Amino acid sequence: MHELSIALEICRVIEERLPPVQLPQLVELGLDVGEDTTIEVANLEFCLDTLLAHPPFAGATVVIARRHGGDTRVSYLEIDDERPTH
Amino acid sequence: MSVRRIEVRERVMARNDLIAASVRARLDAAGVAALNLVSSPGAGKTLLLERTLDDIGPALRLAIVTGDVQTENDANRLAAHTSRLVQAVVTNGGCHLDALQVTTALEAVALDDTDVLILENVGNLVCPASWDLGERHRVTLCSVTEGEDKPLKYPKAFANADLVLLTKVDLLPYLRFDMERLEQNVRTVNPDAVILRTSAVSGEGMQAWYDYLQCATENARERQSATMPTAISS
Repeated sequence: MHELSIALEICRVIEERLPPVQLPQLVELGLDVGEDTTIEVANLEFCLDTLLAHPPFAGATVVIARRHGGDTRVSYLEIDDERPTH
Repeated sequence: MSVRRIEVRERVMARNDLIAASVRARLDAAGVAALNLVSSPGAGKTLLLERTLDDIGPALRLAIVTGDVQTENDANRLAAHTSRLVQAVVTNGGCHLDALQVTTALEAVALDDTDVLILENVGNLVCPASWDLGERHRVTLCSVTEGEDKPLKYPKAFANADLVLLTKVDLLPYLRFDMERLEQNVRTVNPDAVILRTSAVSGEGMQAWYDYLQCATENARERQSATMPTAISS
């Protein structure tokens, strides 16, 4: 259930990290999900699929790596500067 | 196509934790003890608080924030037991309170007229365990009707607890329930938690709960003294 809250926080982090002028297309999102986080990965993927369906996230691939510990991190973003979204 | 990678490495909970730290600092400065009550739905959080308000409400200035997915039922129930403000946070589908919601709720709370802030979280043993609200004490409730294995099934909710309240013990004569086994399971995931057996109906164990609140209040006042700027003598 809390995966939606987590997914919204992930989108906030992405928006903060994308270059502010002429938003580029997000191609890939890398996430580290701790094994002690009580996050159900399938639920998180479902939430992200929904939230990432719109610009500037549309079509982004989500790559989730399970890690030890209780943290979830946005690991990296891959962006295409030549495909800006408006 | 010119794809480049931006390394981020940012914790998803970072913003909530930052806001929670701000809440904690504010409560410390005000000398307010803050407790976050976590349990499954129906474990008896609201009944515990109703009895608490009746018994020690006049002596201990309690402020309460309730979190529910829908309705303000809990806040309304509690408001009938106190003339002080009971704040209701309706999450509209959210399965837990977060630090920003607590910050907003605190805008209506007179902290200089408050000894204890109780955050009655949304009934859920999974999601609230991951969200720091700025509390100093996390209290997990488990009723005897839930089964002895809840601490093993939902370890995070118990592993983070400072205090575990085993509620509804007045029902024990009517149940097949092994209390020692439940306490052993709590100890398995959290050897350091204080465990109290309580019943808000019979009153069993309630004094120990009130003593815990009193102790938390005294600790909060000590923290307030420690955070006060030293007087400059001229």
